[in-house]
Amino acid sequence: MKAEFNKRQEWEREFDAAARRSLQERMEYSFIYTYKPVLDDAKFRSFATMAEYKEWCRKNLPQYLGYW
Amino acid sequence: MNVFSYKQGERLAEAFSRWGVEYLFIGKSGAIFYGFPETTQDADIFPAKNSANGQKLISALRELGYDLTPNLEYDLKVGKDFVQLRGGPFDLDLVFAPDGIETFAEAQSRSLLIDGKFPVASLDDIIASKRAANRQKDRESLPRLEAFRDYLRSRNLAALPTNPSKP
Repeated sequence: MKAEFNKRQEWEREFDAAARRSLQERMEYSFIYTYKPVLDDAKFRSFATMAEYKEWCRKNLPQYLGYW
Repeated sequence: MNVFSYKQGERLAEAFSRWGVEYLFIGKSGAIFYGFPETTQDADIFPAKNSANGQKLISALRELGYDLTPNLEYDLKVGKDFVQLRGGPFDLDLVFAPDGIETFAEAQSRSLLIDGKFPVASLDDIIASKRAANRQKDRESLPRLEAFRDYLRSRNLAALPTNPSKP
C-alpha cells in the first residue's frame, strides 16, 4: 500500500517536471531508437486484420519485446 | 536510425494537412503529445479507413520521402488494419483499426488538436486501445498512463502546456 503510494508520488513529481518542459523538449526526450530484432528487419509489413498482426507477433517476435 | 522528433512531427502534420489526410496520433506517441513523460520508438497514426483517404495518405507519405511499392500502395488504399513502415524518414505504424475504438469518426470527435497542428486521439481512447490490445508492453504502461490522465484531470488540464513559461 505504502509502496503504491510512493510510486504514485514519484510519478506525480515526474509529471510536474514534464510540465516545466516545452512539447519540443519532451519529444526530444521521448522518442528513442533501439533496434528491435525481426520487427525492424523489413521495409514494411501489412496485415489485413489486427488478429493477423497479433498472430504474426506471437509467431515471430521474441517475447521480451513485449508485443504479446 | 530514424527517430521521430518534433520537427518530423511538424513535417508530417504539414504534409498530411496539405493532402487532406484524416488522421489522429494514437498510442504512446499520442500520449507524449499530451505531455506523458515516457519513451517510445515510433509514431503511431490512426488514419480514417477509406480509399479516398488512403490515396491522400499515399501522396503525403511519398512527399515525406517514403519509398512506396505498388503492393504497399494497394494495402494503404484498401486500408489493411495495420501497416508498419520502416526505412523512411522515421518509423511509422499506421493503425487503421485500433483495438478498443469503434470508429474513426467517434475518436475524432473526442480528439484534441495539440499545439495547433497535431491531431491526437483522446487520452481515454489511447488508454482504451492499450487496454484492449493487452500486449505485455501495454499492460506495463497502463498504470502510469492512467495516473497521468488523473494528474491532468486533477489540475483541470486537457494536456500539459506546450510552451510553459520559464521561471
